[in-house]
Amino acid sequence: MKKYLLAAIGILFAALAMGQAKKPTIMVVPSDQFCISRGYSMTFDNQGVKQTLPDYKAALQSDPDLRLVITKMGQIMAERGFPLKDLEQELKNIAQESAEMALLTSSSSGSEMAESPIDMLKRTAKADIIMDLDFEVKKKGPQKYIVFNLKGLDAYTSKQVSGVAGAGSPSSAASAELLLEEAVLSHMDNFNGGLMRHFEDMFANGREVKIMIRVWANWGENLESYFTINGDEKELTEHIEDWLYDNTVQGRYSLSDGTENFMKLEQVRIPMMRTDSKGRERAVDTRSFVNDLNKYLRDNLEITSKVYLRGLGEAWLIIGEK
Amino acid sequence: MKLYRFALMAVLAFFVMLPSVNAQSRKERKILYNSQYNYEIEPIGVGQDGTKVFKVWGYGKKVEDAVMNAKEHAVAACIFKGIPGGNGSAPTPPIITEANAEVKHADYFEKFFEVGGKYLQFIAVTTDGEPAGQDRLKIKKGYKVAIYVQVMYDSLRKQLEADGIARRLDSGF
Repeated sequence: MKKYLLAAIGILFAALAMGQAKKPTIMVVPSDQFCISRGYSMTFDNQGVKQTLPDYKAALQSDPDLRLVITKMGQIMAERGFPLKDLEQELKNIAQESAEMALLTSSSSGSEMAESPIDMLKRTAKADIIMDLDFEVKKKGPQKYIVFNLKGLDAYTSKQVSGVAGAGSPSSAASAELLLEEAVLSHMDNFNGGLMRHFEDMFANGREVKIMIRVWANWGENLESYFTINGDEKELTEHIEDWLYDNTVQGRYSLSDGTENFMKLEQVRIPMMRTDSKGRERAVDTRSFVNDLNKYLRDNLEITSKVYLRGLGEAWLIIGEK
Repeated sequence: MKLYRFALMAVLAFFVMLPSVNAQSRKERKILYNSQYNYEIEPIGVGQDGTKVFKVWGYGKKVEDAVMNAKEHAVAACIFKGIPGGNGSAPTPPIITEANAEVKHADYFEKFFEVGGKYLQFIAVTTDGEPAGQDRLKIKKGYKVAIYVQVMYDSLRKQLEADGIARRLDSGF
């Protein structure tokens, strides 16, 4: 009896674990225009060119309206099954992590943790979908109204996947906070409608990602070199394109640019799920997809490559060595 | 001469076609009033958290029937049509975006919208009482009335998601 019960629990867990695609993370980020126009910015000299960048920390610490809007949006998104990554908390975590990384040493040898310059560069607040937010309380005589602009941007393809914008109705009685809350309540259903269309498209036609193929300078070959697979001699670029055609959803990808040293592949539609060698349904992300290409090149051409992950929706394959 | 004959034919064709284009028979009007797609909605502002407020029209032989029809239209509009923007509120998309959902889930919606059905659970506040003035129009064999409603949009969406009729935003993830 106990055996049957355990088997039933096992099947239930397997069923629950199965069929779940990778969930994108979403974060609200105030737009550059919002930050810079309110003075939440940092200016520095970049080799003689004055450059102004948004200071998110200052914006989040000083602007109560921004915090109100982010909280309200977070509440709505959590209720729809997408708890937002909080930018303020993420920035605090990164600062804390950096401090701990600098101080932490091995208790036996006193060794520091390995960290390359790339590792340091990667320690930034990231999300798969950015909710680029901008709003302004405007005045028309004694009346106030809100101009609200929210864009949902795919962090990897840079495509706008959803967006809402518009002005609320002017009021002389309501406070700016109330008008801001109204603006969020008014626009979020429409914004989520756009997100829903994006997700439906994703499940129907595959996740749209970006892949970059590059070669190490010391490899000795390039993407125009000839290789033979199953008696078919072609340029490496063509072999890669053949593999992409066979493994993308409906053979959809676009080689937007390329030379003998790189291939820039955009609008690559990768499947959401696949069955692994053990027969399990597993979610696919760009890293696992590019890893399969890496394995194909290694098994058929004995080429070693490095997979460099840029996020859920972008990865690089650097051919020649690890 | 040829041109004159052509002009005459064109004028005749215009008069022959005119009634079929403009005239709306009693039967057609009845179909129109009973159409499940004929929701007339006018947003009146931004609702409280999770709700939508708007003015909606309904038809009926008696005013009370027209009011009930308007309530039904209010919920049906949120599900199938969406609410247009206006008076400070942005447009709201329909809860179900799937094409022909009302046909696919006909049995479910027939029960949902039956007299005294579950749809009434999602109407929080209305201007109950008989509409007057411009909100109460006497039409042939009945009334066309407008009521102001507050629909519990989020609760309605959650109900349809729980019943497997609407797709959740995070489904599949």
